[in-house]
Amino acid sequence: MDKTILKAIAILAVLGGLLAIPRFVDSPYALHMMILLFMSVMMGQSWNILGGYAGQHSVGHAAYFGVGAYTTMMLMHTKQIAPWIGVWAGIALVVVVALIIGSICFRLRGPYFVLASIAVAEILRLSAINLTTLTNGAEGILATELPPFKVGGAIITDFATKVPFYYIGLFLVVLTVGVTYLVQHSKLGYFFQAIREDQDAAHSLGISISLYKNIALVLSAVLTSLAGSFYGIYVGFVDPPTVLGLDVSVQIMLICIIGGMGTLWGPVLGSLVLVPLSEALRSNMITEALVKIGLVSPESKIGIFLKENLSHAHVLLYGILVVVVILFMPDGLMGFIKKLAKRRKQEAV
Amino acid sequence: MAILEIKNVSKFFGGLAANSNVSFSVEEGTIMGLIGPNGAGKTTLFNCITGYYPPSKGEVVFDGRRMNGLDPDKVCMLGMVRTWQKVRPLAKLSVVDNVMVGALARTSSLKVARELAMEQIKVVRMEHRADFIAGGLPIGERKKLEVARALATQPKLLLLDEVMGGLNPAESEEIIQLILDIKQRGLTQMVIEHDMKAIMRISDRIVVLTSGEKLTEGSPQEVVSNPEVISAYLGEAHA
Repeated sequence: MDKTILKAIAILAVLGGLLAIPRFVDSPYALHMMILLFMSVMMGQSWNILGGYAGQHSVGHAAYFGVGAYTTMMLMHTKQIAPWIGVWAGIALVVVVALIIGSICFRLRGPYFVLASIAVAEILRLSAINLTTLTNGAEGILATELPPFKVGGAIITDFATKVPFYYIGLFLVVLTVGVTYLVQHSKLGYFFQAIREDQDAAHSLGISISLYKNIALVLSAVLTSLAGSFYGIYVGFVDPPTVLGLDVSVQIMLICIIGGMGTLWGPVLGSLVLVPLSEALRSNMITEALVKIGLVSPESKIGIFLKENLSHAHVLLYGILVVVVILFMPDGLMGFIKKLAKRRKQEAV
Repeated sequence: MAILEIKNVSKFFGGLAANSNVSFSVEEGTIMGLIGPNGAGKTTLFNCITGYYPPSKGEVVFDGRRMNGLDPDKVCMLGMVRTWQKVRPLAKLSVVDNVMVGALARTSSLKVARELAMEQIKVVRMEHRADFIAGGLPIGERKKLEVARALATQPKLLLLDEVMGGLNPAESEEIIQLILDIKQRGLTQMVIEHDMKAIMRISDRIVVLTSGEKLTEGSPQEVVSNPEVISAYLGEAHA
């Protein structure tokens, strides 16, 4: 039991540290990075419930992310409904969408389920482009003016800085990780994993496959839509490719695959790798660092080439990363760490 | 009293009759053996009984209730559970977690489920393996795990599909003892088996299937002395 107490203390310490960060860090950039990290953890963890635990590898999670983001933004833009109210509409809509998608896609297994999930997300993306009266089409929705958040007339925050977003993000991360923890430590977690390991065996043991797959999907979709709504109000802009595109779905999955599917901390680890990496690539940080340490001169052909092209290379790098992970760490970073710990234990004995 | 009644069950795959007009009943507390050459339709019959296939014709009545068209999970909840000829462990889960999945059919508490699971693990004598990952077990123990997991759902009727297939004589003997133990607890069983010696020892009655049809039914002695059975197994020259 000592180990669980130690774990709890460690988690509380990290949480305390995260709560204190905005008091000591003024840099909006640093807070921005943390918010991106939170968003990534939420997205990965939401996918994890369906993909990691229940083994239904959806490559269409952009559907839920986009529906959440669009609903909140549309309500705010056209009806001036505050996002913390609009988000509930997003959740309600996503539950309906998820149940419809589930009733179609869960008839299929394995690769066929994957293809169907992609198709459904693409249908939503194309709808968002073409239903211009509703979604403003390819132009997207721009809504940066957030109403101040009031409790009983007193203004709690007016969203002028990144700090309120930081705390909302942190709260949502705690929520998603908490939900996953509860799932893992309940009947649901056992049933999800049974379905993942062997659907027919699970069925013979009294588990209603369609019921539990749909529960996993709805949980996952609701949390993903929360992440989407948060993205929408934080960035202040949504358009079809950024919230409904296939690369959003792939990004959501990658967090989990790299971190470790079906583990509580996998998506957190995955985000800790992916977010800084994509940021470093995008902002030309790597080229600048190489110049600074004198490895390449900024005027040389290589320097110019890197500066011009490296920022587009993050997709390529993701690809390489996935190949490396699948080859050398098939259970993700979490699985790799567990394996190392086990080996050390055995060596100690 | 008959706990399971199979009434004129037929199963067609296109023009092929995997089962045709099979009828028999299983008495409560007994062991029914189901034998027949490869392709006789034994596993298909199991699938029809447990809801994996709807029977094309006929009726399956369990505990006074018509089972046709019920899904496998409902069948399990009503008290009929099967194991698989080709074992299906939940490979990444530990032995105790595997059995807990079965136990969770009857309880929502993980604590209660764990206790129920440990009880069944003791029944199959695998306490020392409780924390092993199921995917790493040898075949004999995987077969026993299947039985423990099925027992954990607290069935009234246990259907065993070749639990001795691929086992060595010592392991088979262990399974025979296990099946007799389970009978002692008053649980009805239906057993598909290829090993004639084993099936003779454990069964109260035996049904013989060939090419999807019921050839005969009777006590083990009656069945082995039946010339039709001998010819089905060994060819007509021996009958």
